[in-house]
Amino acid sequence: MKWYIARRLAWTVVATFIILSLTFGLMAASPDPQAASYVAQQVQEGGDFEEAQESYERARGLDQPLWERYKNYMIGMVTLDWGWSETRSQPVTEAILEAWPYSVMYATPALIISTVLGVAIGLYSATHRNSLEDYAASAFAFFGISIPDFWFGILMILIFGVWLGWIPIYYHSDVPWFSLQNVQQLIAPTLVVTLSSIASEMRFSRATALEYVNAEFVKTAKAKGADSWRRVTRHIFRPALVPLSTILVGDILNIVLVSSYLVEVVFGIPGLGQLSYKAIIQQDVALVLATVLIPTFIAIVGNLFQDLAYTVLDPRISYGER
Amino acid sequence: MMGGEDYRDRFEDIDWDDMQRSGLDSLTTQTAGFLASLGVVALLLVYDYVVVANDGPTFTTPFEWDVTQLDWLLVVTLLTVVFFAVYPLYDNPRMSRRYWREFRKNRAAVVSGVFLVGIFGLGLVGPLFIAKPDLNVLAQYQPPVFLSVPESTVGTCVGPVSDGMCHGTWQYPLGTTGQGKGIMKSVIYGMRVSLEVGLITPLIIIIIGTAVGTVAAYSGGIVDELLMRYVDIQLTFPTFFLYLLLLYLYGGTLFLLIVIFGITSWGSTARLVRSEALQRREEEYIQAAQSAGASEFWVIRKHLVPNVSNTVITNASLLIPSLILFEAAFSFLGLGDPTVPSWGQVISAGRSDIDTAWWISTIPGVFLFTTVLALNFVGDALRDALDPRAED
Amino acid sequence: MTEPLLSIRNLKTHFHTDEGTVRAVDGVSLDVDRGETVCVVGESGSGKTVTAESITRLIPEPPGEIVDGTVRFDGEDVTAMSEKQLEALRGGRIGHIFQNPQGALNPVYTVGWQIREAIQLHDKKAKDKEARERAIDLLDRVGIPDATSRIDDYPHEFSGGMKQRIVIAMALASNPDLLIADEPTTALDVTIQMQILRLLNQVQEEFNTGIVMITHDLGVVAEVADRVVVMYAGKVMEEGDVYEIFENPSHPYTRALLECLPGRGEKMSAIGGSLPSTTSPPDGCRFHPRCPYAVGDCEIGEQPPMYAVDDGDHAVSCVHFEPGADPSVVLGEDGSDAVGGARADGGDETGGDAR
Repeated sequence: MKWYIARRLAWTVVATFIILSLTFGLMAASPDPQAASYVAQQVQEGGDFEEAQESYERARGLDQPLWERYKNYMIGMVTLDWGWSETRSQPVTEAILEAWPYSVMYATPALIISTVLGVAIGLYSATHRNSLEDYAASAFAFFGISIPDFWFGILMILIFGVWLGWIPIYYHSDVPWFSLQNVQQLIAPTLVVTLSSIASEMRFSRATALEYVNAEFVKTAKAKGADSWRRVTRHIFRPALVPLSTILVGDILNIVLVSSYLVEVVFGIPGLGQLSYKAIIQQDVALVLATVLIPTFIAIVGNLFQDLAYTVLDPRISYGER
Repeated sequence: MMGGEDYRDRFEDIDWDDMQRSGLDSLTTQTAGFLASLGVVALLLVYDYVVVANDGPTFTTPFEWDVTQLDWLLVVTLLTVVFFAVYPLYDNPRMSRRYWREFRKNRAAVVSGVFLVGIFGLGLVGPLFIAKPDLNVLAQYQPPVFLSVPESTVGTCVGPVSDGMCHGTWQYPLGTTGQGKGIMKSVIYGMRVSLEVGLITPLIIIIIGTAVGTVAAYSGGIVDELLMRYVDIQLTFPTFFLYLLLLYLYGGTLFLLIVIFGITSWGSTARLVRSEALQRREEEYIQAAQSAGASEFWVIRKHLVPNVSNTVITNASLLIPSLILFEAAFSFLGLGDPTVPSWGQVISAGRSDIDTAWWISTIPGVFLFTTVLALNFVGDALRDALDPRAED
Repeated sequence: MTEPLLSIRNLKTHFHTDEGTVRAVDGVSLDVDRGETVCVVGESGSGKTVTAESITRLIPEPPGEIVDGTVRFDGEDVTAMSEKQLEALRGGRIGHIFQNPQGALNPVYTVGWQIREAIQLHDKKAKDKEARERAIDLLDRVGIPDATSRIDDYPHEFSGGMKQRIVIAMALASNPDLLIADEPTTALDVTIQMQILRLLNQVQEEFNTGIVMITHDLGVVAEVADRVVVMYAGKVMEEGDVYEIFENPSHPYTRALLECLPGRGEKMSAIGGSLPSTTSPPDGCRFHPRCPYAVGDCEIGEQPPMYAVDDGDHAVSCVHFEPGADPSVVLGEDGSDAVGGARADGGDETGGDAR
């Protein structure tokens, strides 16, 4: 098992290395939108086209050989020197440090609520299969996986902000973090992110638990005198946790990352999503790259935890295979 | 368990009858028809690029249609669907009836299916007859028909005005945007976009995924290892952010968006096909075919591919809704194709006017939501119908 | 006469499904005394498993429902018990052993955890340490070598026979008065089968436990049974002392079952036809469509009542044994046979289990 964990950790490092290299390759091979706009601006102001291009490349270190640039890029990545954000006139890392609390503020509650409630409702549905509640939960889940997050956010703003006036139309970032007002303006975004992830979670945990509801060992537990609560929590939920752990970490994290990105754009929350969105609009390449890599790293680490959780949860796993 | 007789009657078995034939005889009506149609398309393509003037429309009668790159791709996709999904169903009515019986059990799916045929039918045909929505400063913020808003928010009211309220007209049944574009037209063009994303992308995914999966399963060794490690990496990268980066760097047209979606999303399909192929390879009829002297390619083409098709079709049908949602999200973020009206684009256009002209963002969203919902219902029912092994 | 430990009267357990009501058990009566082993035999789908699981109401409700009859255990009516009382009964005074030891153990817990659970569910005062000691003791008793070290192993680290021993250990955790064993040896190798049966026998002698053994293996019946109940399509066809049943089988179905055994009589014949529909069973005797001796009376009315055969502990539900009728129609000239030793399910089994 130690050997397995060591190999898994090694693979995480290798995968990160490959992904960073691939992104470097992508960036190097593609036309730099920022360069184009810089050069266009210089030419407009009467500068020479060639000169403008050269000065830009010099400033960004693009005149160095490819290998040199790759080396610098990788070293920069590892040492957390992620470049300079032109539009914000600050290091990329600093911009990210300023933005992340806003994302965490509502994404964490959403993640917790949707995990706890989603799994609970899914289990209930599975153990009360074909009941009225089960049908209602399934219908709700279909609704949740089908509704576009960003449109649902707009609907919330329209109904609760514009028509009812309960929530502000835009996020006010000057409000103190720990204040009732901040909680009030975070309710709607939290709900939107929760809905998209809770639906997937309900569907998956229902399907997983269904495989165990009629398992023989659950009948054994009943024959031992275990009450229904104990049967559901100890004998259905616990074994179901093994396949569930794969979606809890991997897929749900992904859903939350995506929907929080869109939700921040819709509600105007100055978190990582909006930082990335603004960087795209304003052609801030370094910042775009960083804000794409952060969720990617989160996903890689999530994958690692998922695999490690698996080894803890399932005593049957064989470590011979990868 | 299914009875033995029923079990034989599945998509997977479409090619059983001709497995004995060889050489040219093996060219079934299905394959021949498909190749012939592809030939016609290729001729038209040559005609478009060689004969027709650069900017001129490809066809002028019966309607004017300048066939774009994407349209060609769509035509090929539709041909594939017709010859490899519709034709087998027509050719084997017994199988079709059985699938239909299974599918019919799910009433929501049947309603959804009818709805989708309407949406995508309109999306396919509509843009041929309806011109793209135009900028019109004289028709900004028109409300949908039967609705009215204060005249002050509208600018110039196209419809009747009474008591200071501007009423919607049939000229713009779903109202207009801040640029005066008719939402109805945009929505119909958006149907086309969703149809293209939802049909072409899965086809690309299926082709690459099946190819990689079978190659990995059959070669084994270092090739298998490399391909599957690559798939691992691809699956580790969160799809949305991979698209985001690629669209930011290379995007701008719908054609590229679809290609990017297609060539970066086949990982899970490849994995599925590989494991299915590894299992099937051990089965007796494949080994029998091999010991009878069938070539590797023949075995893959005639035995393996038909046998994994159910898995692949089910998997792809579950991908479609999320692909459509992704396209809408990127159009909303401004990373879509600015020249093609799409649902996400219109939702984005109305975002800043939400307090005065609420219909701009909400109406296209209703279409997006209901389409995705319907696709999810159909996908679910399809999985139940195609896969008798899945209980739920 | 004292009341038997377990007394089932006219039990009817039905399942309400989309295809109609499945009458899995349709009027079954049987008694089990302390220290006695009663074997319930019959083809797959005859309702024997449902009978066993109805005793402590293990059947899923819904779709299952006990629609009629009583199950009295030590003087108390189980069908009228609350869920709490049932939980105390299950695993407490009545232990269960299931057919498939592979599935009966939860794969994510150690066997020690699972046995401890069985102990502590009924002895709330037992501390973890004490329960562990008792679990080791139980494992030792059911013949797991090196129990002290193996108690922390997971089920997948044991062989099938060992798993069944662990299941038995769990069933014995609270020294039950009654054991219900549902085909406990079917999934095991022949050599292991004997060991498990001996183990059960040992337990019974030690604690004077009553055992209800569900089986379709007449060899097992011959080995362990004191009394036998023959079931067919949810009804009891014949019951009696094990020697009576083997020496003097009276119901045409029992006789057919025994004839399926190899080495009995001249021919080894399968029973023609298949199990009747469980949603709309035939009128009269359930067996009459397959019975070579069926007469007009067999096809009408209800299943015939249990008529006494001879004077001993032996009764049969067949019109030919009605007082005044002529049993030799069925029995022929010589009604005696020797005890065989093989499986009885040679019949055409398209029915499948009721659930």
